[in-house]
Amino acid sequence: MNDLLRFLRRYYHVFLFLLLEGICVYFISCNSYRQGSYITSIANNVSGSVNGFFDNVTSYFYLRSTNEALVQENVRLRKMVESSYVKIVNNVHKEEDTVYKQMYSFIDARVIYKTVNKRNNFFMLNKGSISGIEPDMGVISPNGVVGVVIKTTPNFSLVMSVLHQDSKLNVRNERTKTTGTLLWNGKNYATGQIIDMPSSLAVKKGDNIVTSGFSRNFPEGISIGKIKSFKKDKGTGFYEIDIKFSTDYNKLEYVYVIKNYFKIEQDRLMQGIDTTNTQKQEGLQ
Amino acid sequence: MIRDIVISVIQFIVLVFFQVFILDNIALWGFVNPMIYVWFIILLPYGSARWLTLVVSFLIGICVDIFSGDIGINAFACVFIGFIRPFLLNAFSGNIDNVMQRPSITTQGFVNFLAFTTSIVFVHHLICFLVGTFSTAELLQILIRTIVSSLVTIVFIILLDMIFYRQKA
Repeated sequence: MNDLLRFLRRYYHVFLFLLLEGICVYFISCNSYRQGSYITSIANNVSGSVNGFFDNVTSYFYLRSTNEALVQENVRLRKMVESSYVKIVNNVHKEEDTVYKQMYSFIDARVIYKTVNKRNNFFMLNKGSISGIEPDMGVISPNGVVGVVIKTTPNFSLVMSVLHQDSKLNVRNERTKTTGTLLWNGKNYATGQIIDMPSSLAVKKGDNIVTSGFSRNFPEGISIGKIKSFKKDKGTGFYEIDIKFSTDYNKLEYVYVIKNYFKIEQDRLMQGIDTTNTQKQEGLQ
Repeated sequence: MIRDIVISVIQFIVLVFFQVFILDNIALWGFVNPMIYVWFIILLPYGSARWLTLVVSFLIGICVDIFSGDIGINAFACVFIGFIRPFLLNAFSGNIDNVMQRPSITTQGFVNFLAFTTSIVFVHHLICFLVGTFSTAELLQILIRTIVSSLVTIVFIILLDMIFYRQKA
């Protein structure tokens, strides 16, 4: 018994070390993005209030670029409103029974914390579940796609940036209509990578890359960036493309969170397929 | 004694805020991520008990983590360097006349302090980036990140040391 005590006293720091590292590993494993965990939501609440306070100060430094982005967006929207179109009546058959149903709505929010220099980057927004934000909603800026909400607390939400190694977004070349997957290799926060875009239709430098509308989080046609350079992979017949993001993630200030009214319905439709797919994958592993 | 505790608490708060609100927003070439709060662990007095070093390292790591969205990564790296710190101090300590002194250029000499700082910062950054990325496919990129970020951190720490701990020789 005495020997045991002496042993414990002699090596207590090793045990303490292992215990603390164990706690850290537990925390890290709780960080899985899909299910909200208790620890991270507490942390989210604490850091949210402090970050919010500091953002009140720092947001002044970005006023100019924020304003420019908003003005540009206003111009784009103004071009789309009905009053800037002339109605040309043809004597052809006129279809008047189209019914519009709203599919997306937008919740405005402010970025109160962001990183761009890590391998896995996050944003924190100043609104949460009280304002109707839920996990899995898409987030866009006046200039383009930003990321996906992964966790919410009543007053704050955490967004997984496009600049994250787990971020995969289905995108489309606006001109050729071919689709691919947007990833980020972690090297430069202004440049993203697209894989799986078939080389059967030739792409050009400067082509617009937009969201494909295949993901249930984003509407179709939201800008992501422009092609900077591309390379054809001879083995697979797919392009490897570098794009320049249309959003400067380091200057992000105001964003919109996208609510998809049909998401539940779409999810229910996909449910059977998703589960059979994962079952297959699990069977393979 | 109380004075030392107060100094440590102030360093703790200032470094965490400096890290979270200034350094995490710096984007030099998009991948430089200096983590100067490690200076706090370097600066603990020579005579700090091992358990205290470990607990305090854990706390500062968690504090930085809470603000950055990924909880546990910085804390993991910090606890590890808290564990190896006594061994490194033994290897690189100069002639200490008071256990309450803090490692700095004046107490350790430039070469010893540089070696001590470099080893701690490098190990910390390497663990941080390895655990944060958790993939072997990007090993080269992790190494480049670690080396460049470590260099920036070390330069910062040496400069801060010269500013704050020079005149007390």
